[in-house]
Amino acid sequence: MIEIDENALIRCPVCEAVNISTGDETLCHRCGSRISNQKSSTQKAWAYLITAIIAYIPANLYPMLITKQFGMIEGSTILGGVVTLWEHGSYPIAAIIFFASIVIPVMKFLILIYLLISVKYPIGKDKKVDKHKLYYMTEAVGPWSMIDVFVVAILAALIHLANVEIVAGTAATAFAISVFFTLLAAHAFDERLIK
Amino acid sequence: MKIENEEALDRLIICQQCHTLHEEIPIKDGTKAVCTECGSMLYHYDSRLVDNGLAWSITGLIFFIVANSFPLVNIELLGHEQFITIFKTFLSLFDSGYYLVGLMSLFLIFLFPLMIFLINIILFTLLKLKKAPQFTKELLILFSHIKPWSMSDIFLISVLVALVKLIGYAQIHMGVSFWALAIFVAIDLYITKRIHISEIWMLRKRIFENKGNR
Ligand SMILES: [Zn+2]
Ligand SMILES: [Zn+2]
Repeated sequence: MIEIDENALIRCPVCEAVNISTGDETLCHRCGSRISNQKSSTQKAWAYLITAIIAYIPANLYPMLITKQFGMIEGSTILGGVVTLWEHGSYPIAAIIFFASIVIPVMKFLILIYLLISVKYPIGKDKKVDKHKLYYMTEAVGPWSMIDVFVVAILAALIHLANVEIVAGTAATAFAISVFFTLLAAHAFDERLIK
Repeated sequence: MKIENEEALDRLIICQQCHTLHEEIPIKDGTKAVCTECGSMLYHYDSRLVDNGLAWSITGLIFFIVANSFPLVNIELLGHEQFITIFKTFLSLFDSGYYLVGLMSLFLIFLFPLMIFLINIILFTLLKLKKAPQFTKELLILFSHIKPWSMSDIFLISVLVALVKLIGYAQIHMGVSFWALAIFVAIDLYITKRIHISEIWMLRKRIFENKGNR
């Protein structure tokens, strides 16, 4: 018989096996993955998150979609695209893009900042279960912010006539980088640190 | 809390959503155990896990191949016919110089979904044959790393969003591949919901433990 502290039990992020934490770094007994050092994981998460937030700025300032119509070139930003869709009465699509491109990324930034700060400072101490759920939710809905990037790629592939053409704008790259680093930040964040 | 040895850790489960600790109990074939705190699924018991997994993975792969072989959508715009395929989607990004986004799309909507299904097929075949303990372990680890980055479902919704934007400007005809992609996504979701990664780990342990070589 071994006596174990329930608080020292951790879940392997790769294979989900329960392991006994042995301090800074634990090797999973089932898959051998390194369940990382707490401090370095927080620093990595911050670095990825800040990169994602920085990339999100040009993603909103530059055009996502460029329409070339009979010699006229017109770019539209993410928010501009949402407004145009709304004005044309495509409310559900405007709502989907608004959620995927603006609400989800911003919410993910805020939740990750909140979780990362609460690791260091005692905020929301009694809400451990809620924090885990919050984290799980951001992980689950995060990838959906790729919708607008895919939509632009599909429209660009579909519309390329002599007189009418759609091409992706600079914001597509910035946005894809932002989504990528937000996902990395969420993966790097160590759930064990939630207290 | 007391446990017998480190092996007994495998009978413990930490809920994926709320992180509550649970102890695994035997359940009836075809049923599932849920978390007492948050109600999310913990594990299933399915005595035909390997056969079912293999059958669904092969079916999924067939639909994936169809989805990639024909046009997703045809449109008629100003008297011109245009169509897209999954491949054309990232090729057009490369063509206009968006290499990074093009490369990302190539992985997210083509390579990763394909790899997920190939890994599943190889994995379930090896488990069925009770062969290659080490390789099945590596496949399972690879699977976990790739899974969050497979975005066929998001791509499918993106196709619909793109089409709604074109309503009024163009005549739209859905292609064979669109329906194949929709079925592929449904199968992918079904497998993800039905077969939990830790169930495959447990199954692998039982198979290779009985053979005496872990
Ligand atoms: Zn593990
Ligand atoms: Zn739970």
